[in-house]
Amino acid sequence: MSQALLQVTDLSAAYGQVFALRDFSCRVEEGNITALVGSNGAGKTTFLRSLSGLLPPRQGRVDFDGGDITHQPSDQRVEAGLVMVPEGRLIFPTFTVEQNLKIGAISKRARDDLAEGLERSYALFPKLEQRRHQPGGTLSGGEQQMLAVARGLMARPRLLMLDEPTLGLAPLIAEAIFEMMVQLKETGLTLLIVEQDVNRTLQIADYAYVLENGAGVMAGEAQDILADPKVRESYLGI
Amino acid sequence: MDILFSPQLLAAALITGVLYALISLGLNLIYGTMRLLNVAHGDLVMIGSYIAFMAFSLFNVGPLISMFGAAIICGGLGWLAYRSVFQNLLSNSEILARLEENSLLLFFGISVVVQNLVILFFTADRQGYEYLSAIVEIGDVRLTGARLAVLIVGSVVSIAAVLYLRFSLFGLAINALIQNRDASAIVGINVDRVQMFSLVIGFGITGLAGALISVLEPITPVMGFPYTMSAFVVIILGGLGNLWGGFLAGLLLGFLEIYGVAVTGPEWRSVLVYGIFIGILIFRPQGLLGRGRVAR
Ligand SMILES: Nc1ncnc2c1ncn2[C@@H]1O[C@H](COP(=O)(O)OP(=O)(O)OP(=O)(O)O)[C@@H](O)[C@H]1O
Ligand SMILES: [Mg+2]
Repeated sequence: MSQALLQVTDLSAAYGQVFALRDFSCRVEEGNITALVGSNGAGKTTFLRSLSGLLPPRQGRVDFDGGDITHQPSDQRVEAGLVMVPEGRLIFPTFTVEQNLKIGAISKRARDDLAEGLERSYALFPKLEQRRHQPGGTLSGGEQQMLAVARGLMARPRLLMLDEPTLGLAPLIAEAIFEMMVQLKETGLTLLIVEQDVNRTLQIADYAYVLENGAGVMAGEAQDILADPKVRESYLGI
Repeated sequence: MDILFSPQLLAAALITGVLYALISLGLNLIYGTMRLLNVAHGDLVMIGSYIAFMAFSLFNVGPLISMFGAAIICGGLGWLAYRSVFQNLLSNSEILARLEENSLLLFFGISVVVQNLVILFFTADRQGYEYLSAIVEIGDVRLTGARLAVLIVGSVVSIAAVLYLRFSLFGLAINALIQNRDASAIVGINVDRVQMFSLVIGFGITGLAGALISVLEPITPVMGFPYTMSAFVVIILGGLGNLWGGFLAGLLLGFLEIYGVAVTGPEWRSVLVYGIFIGILIFRPQGLLGRGRVAR
């Protein structure tokens, strides 16, 4: 098997004594969209938090681009190109849109690219350019999500992890976000997506994992997962 | 009532205000980035004062030079405190959640120990020294050379610090950490480094302010406490973690205190300062200029 960009082996993570992720393994191939689906509380956010270094794993191993990053601090992961767009967006409310984008480029690999990064962000999301001097906290939900994605892109990621990027958005805006993710893939970016819109996510993904109660229960080509009767019943209500 | 319009009083208010701005900027940095309630903050002022006093009485070095030594030594204490205690505490998310309350007790203990050590070495007596005590006249304003120097140096340092924090990339990172810890980590800010620098800078500028203050008032082991209180009043007035708001609030408290005392009398100083404190907590807990408390 070829070397995957991200390789997770038997990863476990816990809050206090409560394990929210148990022995989960997966791979993310370069240039792919990989999806992680599962019901509420399955451990998806927990997984992404341990990948980004916010929650130190209890067991297991994470390799990114061939190097062991299991115990690396968050900033070094960003420096290596592993970047998360978190659940709830976590933009900086008192910073202007432009300051939010600037801080996204604080890593050394992105810092020299700041001006170009801003241009790219505004080209991708013209709305943000109109609002560039407005505090992030005053944006609408959809605009905040765009800002969170744009801020993630400012770091020049090699793998962008998105946690529920369409949660709470109007259908039209959610669809725009999905189209944007496809567009990003076409530029060569690798994506790992956690989404509650299972149907739409599996349509754009190449490969998918299903998580239940903190454990991986299914993995395969996204189309196969989408066609699976159990998945259709549990997650698509069909 | 003429006194209220005297340039003397204006100068006094500016001096007090600038010192409050500087000291509370240190406290605000430390609280904002780490949620540490440093109730020993005023003791750094005291340490800075003793450093300046020693430098003058032992080596005949004036406070305009020794203030750098005070900044470096107090900054070094910040580094030591970070490396020996807080780095570990802050990297454990379970301790982190309770650190704010516990830090209050911890710093209270540190304050008692530090004050008693200083009493052991220097006695509890007031100390002081003569420095630039000749009167300088600028237009209508008459003040000692020492006070003029404090005004100038205090203004330059506090304005420089505020501009740096507002416009540099590192300042942006500090402000990001003040707003949200997780968000700062995921954008790639080296949280550990920002925390350490905040503690070093916060301690350092407070020590520097202490060296300046050594020429304005008697130096005693307990001189720090009123500055602790004032600094807390200021950062609550300006909005916790709001560095710019705190700077303005420092100036404001200096004016309120000096003009308030001029109208009422020195015995009212504490009533005024604590009255503002309590009033703000009751009527505007988010601060006069605050944007509300930011989430962790
Ligand atoms: N900070 C926390 N402290 C304790 N338990 C937590 C914490 N965060 C999450 N959990 C628990 O861990 C489990 C997994 O949560 P997680 O947020 O990873 O799920 P999720 O798959 O992202 O769900 P959702 O679709 O609702 O976002 C849940 O049972 C949740 O209650
Ligand atoms: Mg989640």
